[in-house]
Amino acid sequence: MDNNFLLIENISKSFGDNKVLENINLNISKSEFFGLLGSSGSGKTTLLRILGGFEKPDTGRVILDGMDITNLEPFERPLNYMFQSYALFPHLNVFNNLAFGIKENFTQKEIEINVRNIAELLSIEHLLNRRIKQLSGGEQQRVALGRCLIKKPKLLLLDEPLAALDKKLRSKTQLELTTLQKKLKITFVFVTHDQEEAMSLSDRMAIMKNGLILECSSPEEIYENPKSLYTANFIGIANIIEIYKKDENFYSDDLGINFKLNKELKNTKTNILLRPEKIKIQSINNLKTSSFNSFSGEILEKSYLGSFTRYEIKIKNMIISVLDQNFNSNSNYNFPKGEKVICTWESESIKVLED
Amino acid sequence: MKNKLFEKYFVFSPYFWLVLFFFIPLAIIFKISISVSEWGMPPYQDIFLFDNGFKINTTFENYVYIFSDYYYIGSFVNSLILALISTFFCLLIGFPLAFYIATSNIRLRNILLVLVVIPFWSSFLLRVYAWKIILQNNGILNVILLNLGITSEPLQLLYNQYAVIIGIVYTYLPLMILPLYGYLNKFDLNLIEASKDLGLNRFKTFFKVILPLSVPGIVAGSLLVFIPVVGEFIIPEMLGGSDRLYYGKILWEEFFVNRNWPGASALAFSGIIILVLPIVIFQILYSRWSEKNEI
Repeated sequence: MDNNFLLIENISKSFGDNKVLENINLNISKSEFFGLLGSSGSGKTTLLRILGGFEKPDTGRVILDGMDITNLEPFERPLNYMFQSYALFPHLNVFNNLAFGIKENFTQKEIEINVRNIAELLSIEHLLNRRIKQLSGGEQQRVALGRCLIKKPKLLLLDEPLAALDKKLRSKTQLELTTLQKKLKITFVFVTHDQEEAMSLSDRMAIMKNGLILECSSPEEIYENPKSLYTANFIGIANIIEIYKKDENFYSDDLGINFKLNKELKNTKTNILLRPEKIKIQSINNLKTSSFNSFSGEILEKSYLGSFTRYEIKIKNMIISVLDQNFNSNSNYNFPKGEKVICTWESESIKVLED
Repeated sequence: MKNKLFEKYFVFSPYFWLVLFFFIPLAIIFKISISVSEWGMPPYQDIFLFDNGFKINTTFENYVYIFSDYYYIGSFVNSLILALISTFFCLLIGFPLAFYIATSNIRLRNILLVLVVIPFWSSFLLRVYAWKIILQNNGILNVILLNLGITSEPLQLLYNQYAVIIGIVYTYLPLMILPLYGYLNKFDLNLIEASKDLGLNRFKTFFKVILPLSVPGIVAGSLLVFIPVVGEFIIPEMLGGSDRLYYGKILWEEFFVNRNWPGASALAFSGIIILVLPIVIFQILYSRWSEKNEI
């Protein structure tokens, strides 16, 4: 695999006094599905627009497949951009929207063949004569995608590709998008504020905040081993516990318990992450409280989520979230509110947050 | 009950307005246009005579007269050509301006809009007169040209059809810009970026995306300029020469110089019909077209 297919080097961008991007560096491989995840104002869309050529960076370079494209106009770049609003042309029907980018260089016959092929790929053959306003949101999304893919771009940029779809359609489209991307082997870079979307689509993803990239790794790595407090909180549900060194072990004042860690710490005081699904919850009768890696508490809230039940458990000064898989088909299996329970976990489940 | 009445009145008020200030005057003009002219006050005979029993006293001679003389038809054609050229130049200047205003940030946009409207605050006559001063033989423009050595003697810039076109384009430009702005304001700028992204340069993007989607604004602005320019009287009178006669001027002369009210009315009525009918047909066709294309 070509690890240097898309190189983003030292990109910075300001709008007036507002620094939107600060010294961004990224290497994206060929055929990779890459996600840029951040809340609004993190600079993710500006970065995507710089790749598309709609904004010029103040400093830095963008190199695509060995070619410096930093100063190329959008119409000179061998890539395409799918807009969040889809930006389909309302004065043209679906066929002409799909054919828009290839009309110049192809004969009428070639255009027809290409449009038919792409329409077949996206299952929109029956829509070719429709007007844009007659399409549903999902159909518009396909046309927008087809209009880009028909140009066989080296790189496809997608701005919030699923944001305009309703929830049910979104998960279906997520799957289709990944299948399509693996099939076509085109490099996809997309922007989203939705962490679930980023996790399910990306091969690798970058977490952005205030114009900086905090972390860049696979979704699994970012979820399981986040480096920063921000990432830990941003992705999934996180129990963040402050601990400090006390004698041989680490102690939490909020929980009033000792932690056993597998590795040595630089600092004497740090935050640790304990994901809610890593905690095992048991009835207090079954087990005796040990002084390490376990605590007893009282169930404060519970919400039944079908495959999981989410408990909020109060221990001393803190509320800890626990996700318990509903393994047993007996509906009485759940712990009721107010019940005293014991929570335990493996030492490996504790992740130290360095930043 | 009271509300119902009010609603009814409210719905019909535009029609009431139209009847009172458009159809009734139009009917009066038509009535005069088919009257027999005579010396007197008013300078035409009644169309209903009751002297020796009831008699309808009408004639279509006025229409025959104006349509058989190229003097009248020619002036109308001149006015149509003038209106076409002026509308074209208004569009040529107005479209980029309107587009620039519509796409600039809100602060600049408001300033520019005020600048577009500001000329309306001063008298129309004064503004046209100002062009007279600019274009005359010892006017500003000639002085500049002479000093720059571009010409050795003053150019005859005033009292010809070019001066008329300049005056009209200047005066009617806001009427083009405002409806265009109103339409372009809603333009989705992502469409321009999408077009560029799909490989079309600025020039092609303009003709394939911006222009087709601006048709409604262009139509509105062009009609707003074209229709009044056909009947424009003051600007050709002040800036024009004897090289070309225009419809408005002929109409004026027929009324006030020749005191031929029936002839002038026939001219006015024919003008309205010739102008309004194609526009009505055009509007019907256009609304069908835009409905079909959903613009």
